Amino acid sequence: MADYREMWTNLGMDLEKHDQLCEVLPEAFGGVFLSQQNRPAGMDFYDFVVSEIHGVRPAELIEHQKQGGKVFGTFCVYVPDEIVFAAGGIAAGLCGGSQFWVSGGEKVLPINTCPLIKASVGARLDKTCPFFQIADMYVAETTCDGKKKAWEILSQEVPLHVIDVPQMKRAKDIAAFEGEIMEFIRVVEDLTGNKITAEKLGAAIKLINAKRQALQRLYNARKATPVPISGKDALLVTQIAFYDDPARCAQMANQLAEELEQRISKGEGVFPADALRIMIAGTPMAIPNWKLHHIAETLGAAVVVEESCTGTRYFENLVDEGGQTVEEQVRALAQRYMQTNCACFTPNPGRIEDIVRLADEYRVDGIIDVNLQFCNLYATESFLVKQALADHDLPVMHIETDYSEQDYEQLRTRIEAFLEMLRK
Amino acid sequence: MENVTHRWYILFPNHHQGLRLNQELKKAGIRNQIAPTPRAASSCCGISLIVAPEDLEKIQSIIAARGVLIEGVVELPVKTDWQYRGI
Repeated sequence: MADYREMWTNLGMDLEKHDQLCEVLPEAFGGVFLSQQNRPAGMDFYDFVVSEIHGVRPAELIEHQKQGGKVFGTFCVYVPDEIVFAAGGIAAGLCGGSQFWVSGGEKVLPINTCPLIKASVGARLDKTCPFFQIADMYVAETTCDGKKKAWEILSQEVPLHVIDVPQMKRAKDIAAFEGEIMEFIRVVEDLTGNKITAEKLGAAIKLINAKRQALQRLYNARKATPVPISGKDALLVTQIAFYDDPARCAQMANQLAEELEQRISKGEGVFPADALRIMIAGTPMAIPNWKLHHIAETLGAAVVVEESCTGTRYFENLVDEGGQTVEEQVRALAQRYMQTNCACFTPNPGRIEDIVRLADEYRVDGIIDVNLQFCNLYATESFLVKQALADHDLPVMHIETDYSEQDYEQLRTRIEAFLEMLRK
Repeated sequence: MENVTHRWYILFPNHHQGLRLNQELKKAGIRNQIAPTPRAASSCCGISLIVAPEDLEKIQSIIAARGVLIEGVVELPVKTDWQYRGI
């Protein structure tokens, strides 16, 4: 079998501890994904990526570094990847979705910190993830208080740049974000030694837009009845999109979407046509967090859309490609990124409008509004979500959970009851 | 893959060989599933192919004809009592 131990050793990883993660992945992946029936053939690529999850892509990133390139690890959909690629760098999402990393984070963070932050910090401190070891710089942001403080700890380990994401969306806030992007350009230019020109930035904008369009095309296929792909498989595609090569990501997502479109034309699906259609809204589900999707879909409901950073927030809205100067392009970038609706903004009516719109587009029967444990922003916003969805006669249930299996059966019972209510 | 009690995994020295055989089997119309290699099959991580036992003979001839390098074929029982666990 492929032996990446030399590469992991060179990255300074804790091989013994990392081996515990390698041991459980195959069984979990088999239980969650390979147990599904009639999966699209295009999922082969994503199964391959997971099979080699800490091998092939890390090796590509290291090769990029050997050629003089830089790797930027990111944690949020507000980080404009376009800037990194315009400078010949590679941006790779680092968000931790594994319970395995949580205890490492708890060594330095308060227990009542969200699992995504704990896992992200733990992955680095425990040295059990090659992506965290490879990145030349972490690009962080200010989308919650837990993250802001965690960056100060991680910055003791790795060079780290923080992008100040505004908390409101007034014209002056969007202008401030433009300033943040201009500063990010300088940081990236300094680290890579490459000047970002309008030509290069224009090409990078097109590159990332193409990825967004491919993911949107794939999601559009999920609007069909019967749905041609499971929510678990679609979630996996989005999770992998965060760190795969963007051009390859677009190519593979387009190929998969084409297969799904053929399925739709033949009326072929992975759930019966009368299966309940569920939206999962809320906080992101970083790889390998597949818990809620697995519960809902093994109960016979199809997850047809995710209103989250590992869903529509990642790819909706394109950057205007008409900018002729770096300044114009940066303005277009700021305008696009500030259309994304995260609970870190106040007020945040756009997110509720998104949920209502997506519920109509994907013809959902019910919505599971979920937040990761201790995520105060999304937990508080759930009140407003519930209130607004009641006005639209859209059934919703709220869940707070983490990455562990501790509440698995409890959640299963609650979701089963919700689905039962929807069936009546 | 359908519900079965055992699965047959083909193991490879590297992912290039695994992907090669995946493509060759697809061309020949032989079902195969890319999967992470179970720990019970190998102590190393990486790609393996799950295949059906009735296809093994044909697969062996394709492996020989195309010169695909494999590390072996392993039969493992499928866990029927698998419960979700946070990875």
